[in-house]
Amino acid sequence: MADATDPVIRLVDVHKRFGDLVVLDGVSLDIPRGQTVAIIGPSGAGKSVLIKHIVGLLEPDSGEVWVDGIDMAHATERQKRGVRKRFGMLFQGGALFDSLTAGENVAFPLRYHTKLSESERRRVAEEKLAMVDLPGIYDRPTPQLSGGQRKRVGLARAIVLEPEVVVFDEPNSGLDPLTSDTIDDLIVRMKERLGITFVVITHDIVQAVRIADWIGMLWEGHLVEYAPRERFLHTRKQVVRAFMKRNVTLPQ
Amino acid sequence: MIASLGRFGLFVGTFARASLTHRPPVARTLEEAYRIGVRSLPILLVISAFVGTNLAFQGFYGFRSIGGQAFLGMFVALSGVREMVPIMVAAMVAAKAGTEMASQIAVMRSREQIEALEVMAVDPYWYLITPRFLGILLVLPPLTILSIATMLLAGWAVVVAQLHQNGQAFLGLAFGSLYTVDFLFATIKGACFAVIICLVSCFQGFTSERGPAGVGQATNKAVVYSAMVCAILNYFLSQALYG
Repeated sequence: MADATDPVIRLVDVHKRFGDLVVLDGVSLDIPRGQTVAIIGPSGAGKSVLIKHIVGLLEPDSGEVWVDGIDMAHATERQKRGVRKRFGMLFQGGALFDSLTAGENVAFPLRYHTKLSESERRRVAEEKLAMVDLPGIYDRPTPQLSGGQRKRVGLARAIVLEPEVVVFDEPNSGLDPLTSDTIDDLIVRMKERLGITFVVITHDIVQAVRIADWIGMLWEGHLVEYAPRERFLHTRKQVVRAFMKRNVTLPQ
Repeated sequence: MIASLGRFGLFVGTFARASLTHRPPVARTLEEAYRIGVRSLPILLVISAFVGTNLAFQGFYGFRSIGGQAFLGMFVALSGVREMVPIMVAAMVAAKAGTEMASQIAVMRSREQIEALEVMAVDPYWYLITPRFLGILLVLPPLTILSIATMLLAGWAVVVAQLHQNGQAFLGLAFGSLYTVDFLFATIKGACFAVIICLVSCFQGFTSERGPAGVGQATNKAVVYSAMVCAILNYFLSQALYG
């Protein structure tokens, strides 16, 4: 049984390539339970590939991906499904189903993984929509949602089964600065309220600093730095400092 | 080519396993059956009717030169019921329902909705393909029979109203040359074509490239490959059933 001090996710020397393109080149990483971890890096650094390994959508060419004591690289589909039920994920575009309403999207996992009646599912979904500051939009057709609303509905769906880990793929991409701030505030509030582990993939260092307890940086397939926030901000590694320089005032 | 066939084989295997290890999605199957059936029916009836009219014309003028107008009913019935209508229904359903399946699934692939299903621990093969598969399998055989009836009726109307031939003799010879198994074989062909159209179209959607170009390609390949495989299969089915 997993200990509360054990990392909830552990990557050990993960390698992944697509054809000749090396995307992950020996990435090792521990994600502590109940903390928010942000992985930053430029576009094409392999951030999305990294989280797809964590949720079992991709398998490493070599190395290990452990999630709560289960090696996702060698797990059966049944085991992976079991792990995924304890995961929520917010995709870049929300990945909402356009044929369903906003609320039906949120209630979707409840339909397949709980024995709740339709009215109970609706109640839970409305509760989660209220948590992301979207009360009363259960019946709104998904195509009528704005970009920010789609992200928040996606977040409500990600937390509807009360998962242990929620993974975010670029939660602020395509959003204006004000809406981005709203999403950041939501992530911080959710963490305080639900006490779950968040893994956030972002190219936005400002967001990482605002929300994360730990920050890592992926660069050309390597995790060049990974440390608690304050230590990360004081790093001496040139590549990390160069990446951060555009957006934050660095300590001397 | 061999790699594509291998990927298709894997796809079919994964779909079969997903369908057999989950409860059948009854409500969504009925929705799909209704959607495929209702949307395809008008176009099928129009085309079947005009297949019937043209078979009647061609049969009449072809047989008249050798004095064999009496065989008109047999010609329309055998060529229409055994060959023309089943393959024409398959081509139309591939163009209508098959392209819809491929494009919907390709758009879902582009928008990460298939990955979202996987992360939500909902098997995408079961959720997306099983209801479409059962739905099309449920409606294509009856659509084929309805189209056959329309084709015969339209052929009879042309024989009587335009060619001024004996309608009763036409129907007598038409039904006299057909056996009950002909209708059974037509539904068997319909079921086989349903399987091909669904699996080929869903495979194209599942394996599409992301973006609008990928959706377009998947839709195009779905109709081209489905129609081609159905035409080839039709030859072997006719050999097996009537040979």
